[in-house]
Amino acid sequence: MPREGLLAQAFVELADSLVDNFDVVDLLTRLADRCVDIMDVAAAGLMLASAGGELRVIASSSEAMRVLELFESQADEGPCVDCYRTGQPIVNLRLDEVDSRWPLFAPKAVEAGFRSAHALPMRLRGQTIGALNMLRVDEGPMLETDVVAAQALADVATIAILQHRAVSDAQDLNEQLTQALNTRIVIEQAKGVVAERAEVDMEQAFARLRRHARNHNLRLADVANAVSTKVLAVTALDA
Amino acid sequence: MTGGRRRRILAEIDDGSGTEVTAVELCGVCRRVTGMSGAGIMLMSGDLPLGSLGTTGAVSALIEDLQYTLGEGPCVDAYQLGRPVLEPDLADPAVPRWMAFTGPALDAGVRAVFGFPLEIGGVRLGALDLFADRPGRLSDDQHADALVAADISAEAVLVMQAKESVGVLAPELERGSNFQYVVHQAAGMVCSQLDVGIAQALVRLRAYAFAHQRLLAEVAADVVARRLRFDDRDP
Repeated sequence: MPREGLLAQAFVELADSLVDNFDVVDLLTRLADRCVDIMDVAAAGLMLASAGGELRVIASSSEAMRVLELFESQADEGPCVDCYRTGQPIVNLRLDEVDSRWPLFAPKAVEAGFRSAHALPMRLRGQTIGALNMLRVDEGPMLETDVVAAQALADVATIAILQHRAVSDAQDLNEQLTQALNTRIVIEQAKGVVAERAEVDMEQAFARLRRHARNHNLRLADVANAVSTKVLAVTALDA
Repeated sequence: MTGGRRRRILAEIDDGSGTEVTAVELCGVCRRVTGMSGAGIMLMSGDLPLGSLGTTGAVSALIEDLQYTLGEGPCVDAYQLGRPVLEPDLADPAVPRWMAFTGPALDAGVRAVFGFPLEIGGVRLGALDLFADRPGRLSDDQHADALVAADISAEAVLVMQAKESVGVLAPELERGSNFQYVVHQAAGMVCSQLDVGIAQALVRLRAYAFAHQRLLAEVAADVVARRLRFDDRDP
């Protein structure tokens, strides 16, 4: 299949993976594999930054690449690390000439048979979330069209990951909101149970629940839940 | 242009005072940008209303109270269906719906009512309701404004809660809200009176309110004030 066809197929594949059961590792593994299939590169890998800003290896097109990327993240130097920090692409860096820039990474990469390194940022509106790393074994620079295509694939993956994160943040927050509200509701229910059984008003009922929780070093929400589900009898509450 | 709409509505929210926006103020913005008579935001969970985050006035508050009591209405449908629900002529609807909700809403002066889901991605947290005191369809502009206002409201609600620690409701959401705490107090009392579970007690309260054409909160207030009991004992 001609290169354009493969590229179109890769975009369709990336888009397909966004529909159901979105999985970041799956998405980025596909991306790494397609880079090697389509571009004139020998290996590709992706790293994403953790919440703390630390780069983690997420996907690699080969075992040699994975080992090299793990080394890069541990040594905290190399094309992905620089690209992530600056947010700028790194292209056509000859590994046998960059000893001073990456004194630990470059010799390892050369030893594994690679000649040049290239890294493209995963970046949207000023936010860099990781980088796409590509290594070549052949002489000469990477094709400009390959650089553009690889960046486009990385951009699609970036948008997908950011969108997924936004939705899962919203999910967490919505659950917290409902949870906070439910806690309040259960306390009100327990107040009602105590008010009826002990023939006291709501304020006194609340005071009894709170006193019991404090005396027994329990959370008010837990005491309220036990009372409203009748696990804890009102007569067993501290007077 | 959605971008322009969004900017205009966001500018409406940020009055330059630098103070935190509350859920009630959000409702005011939703009402103003759509040119409606009133607006309210209802939180929902598991297909049922959890309570009202805020309303612009007594009629909007009643629209939310009715839906809380009856479990039907524009917010409930918008939330369940995940799309806008439009009733431009409540007195003479093309397809009759909301058998219990419609009468009391008309009595309060509601002539048109619209529900828009509050959601981000696939996460749905509630619905925005808008009402007008005269019948009429939303213009395309009003409809588009309402959609964007609902989106912004959903984001704003989650942003408010994000600042709060887990297990605690954000004060900006609590202020002006009506989570019908009295109903839950009454449910606790009824569950002791009848020796049933909380869910069953809530069903009994709802059934009583429905049968007597009263709001759930009113019935609950009677129970809490010990004017009404659900067992054989005299109050």
